[in-house]
Amino acid sequence: MSHSRQPLQSSLEAAEPLQTLRRGGQLFETERRLNAVLNNASVSIFLMDDRQHCIYMNRAAELLTGYTLEEVLARDCPLHDIVHHTYPDGRPFPLAECAIDRAFPQNNQEKGEEVFVHKNGHFYPVTFTASPIRDDAANIIGTIIEVRDITEEKAAAERQRLLVDELNHRVKNTFATMQAIAAQSFRGTDPAALAVFNARLDALSGAHNLLTEDHWQSASLRGVIERALAPHLIVAGDSNRFRLNGWDGRLHPKVAVTLAMALHELMTNATKYGALSVPEGHVSVDWTLQSNEAGVEQLDLTWRERGGPSVTPPARKGFGSRLIERQLPMEFDGRATLAYEPEGVVCRLQIPLTALGWYGQEKIEGRPAR
Amino acid sequence: MSVLEGRRVLLVEDESMVAMLAEDMLLDLGCDVVVAMRLDQALAQVEAGDFDLAVLDVNMGSTRSYPVADALFERCVPFLFATGYGLEGVEPDYRVVPVLQKPYQHAQMRRLLEHLLTCEDLPRKGGSNGGGFNCGCVGGHADKGGGGYRADAAR
Repeated sequence: MSHSRQPLQSSLEAAEPLQTLRRGGQLFETERRLNAVLNNASVSIFLMDDRQHCIYMNRAAELLTGYTLEEVLARDCPLHDIVHHTYPDGRPFPLAECAIDRAFPQNNQEKGEEVFVHKNGHFYPVTFTASPIRDDAANIIGTIIEVRDITEEKAAAERQRLLVDELNHRVKNTFATMQAIAAQSFRGTDPAALAVFNARLDALSGAHNLLTEDHWQSASLRGVIERALAPHLIVAGDSNRFRLNGWDGRLHPKVAVTLAMALHELMTNATKYGALSVPEGHVSVDWTLQSNEAGVEQLDLTWRERGGPSVTPPARKGFGSRLIERQLPMEFDGRATLAYEPEGVVCRLQIPLTALGWYGQEKIEGRPAR
Repeated sequence: MSVLEGRRVLLVEDESMVAMLAEDMLLDLGCDVVVAMRLDQALAQVEAGDFDLAVLDVNMGSTRSYPVADALFERCVPFLFATGYGLEGVEPDYRVVPVLQKPYQHAQMRRLLEHLLTCEDLPRKGGSNGGGFNCGCVGGHADKGGGGYRADAAR
């Protein structure tokens, strides 16, 4: 640190032990080692005095800011006025508004993000970590600030955001295209079959929308239920037909999609033949989220129709009952019963909730997928 | 009558609706289908079942179906991978296995399964020539029938 013009001042008594180190070139050796460490570090390191003047910066800091230590020392002003003087929108950035200055740290490892200005005028985003330097009497006599350029990370995050937006856009377009293809392909054939297809496609698209809101990490349980019932509300315009009762939770995308499709089938069946086919009928959906015998959180949901016409079991099992009774339990290692009770259909779904995550997530996000 | 008629096929597919579609296709081809939608179920089925063929979805939510592939290799059950990513979606060690590009198509499914039943070289893990996996029963499968089709079930 031979360039330090204003070494951090500590009280005379506190400085006393240093004198003993100066013997036999020991201090020189220490300084040489420290300089080797500091000037080979890829993180920028700034040493500030109690006036926020920079009294030392390593080589990485010189590369980062575009200034040499000599230039910074010659300016004899707070470092802020050299590397942080302008907001990215061009307004002047006075020291008084500076978070790093305000955060003149009482605590170790104060962290934050800022945008600095390079000597050549361009802005670059950084993260900083600031810690106080104390003398032997624990008085704060300066600050050490580590700074890292995060331009690349910011750009990567922005690229990822754009890609996800584009993916969502394309998925939506694909749904619209599928709808168009179906409309063209089945033109002049059974309009009821096309309506069934379109309603299922819409249910799937609705589940995707809920997942998009949370970047395909999870979907709200209550949101999935409400979205699945929404088409009936829109057509019938009567929200008193449904009684929903249960706490919200987060569902894995796979659970969200299959549950949405199962509820869609129940809702469609109820509208055509069940409780929702007559004005006085209603549907209650009650659910709990509790640990099952294996200690896994499990959704236990009961769909119960009441007040509809007397129910007789259907002669043949269609898509809905196949999905609910066979596929859904198999997909999630759960249980499903679909009972055609005379007073109304009752469907009970017990779905162990898969831990949120997908294959490859840990590679992308650096945390375990399960 | 297709060579696939009456064949016992294991279908491993983790999405409910897609599994329904693939199952129906296999049923339409005359196959006797067992569906497994979870890795543990699939492994138990391979252990217990006596399959002529298998169709494996590669990506199964938080995991992949390679352990099932290994169990099938061990038992010399011919199988194909189904993936939306095509060949690139399969680990290099497993690229000897035919890949069905999703979405499932009836004609493609039929062609690949027929190929698996009639092909003289059963794919082995790690490459067809001197790969890391050698169960020693390839010769038993190299039964050359008329026109390349075997008349009997490869049980």
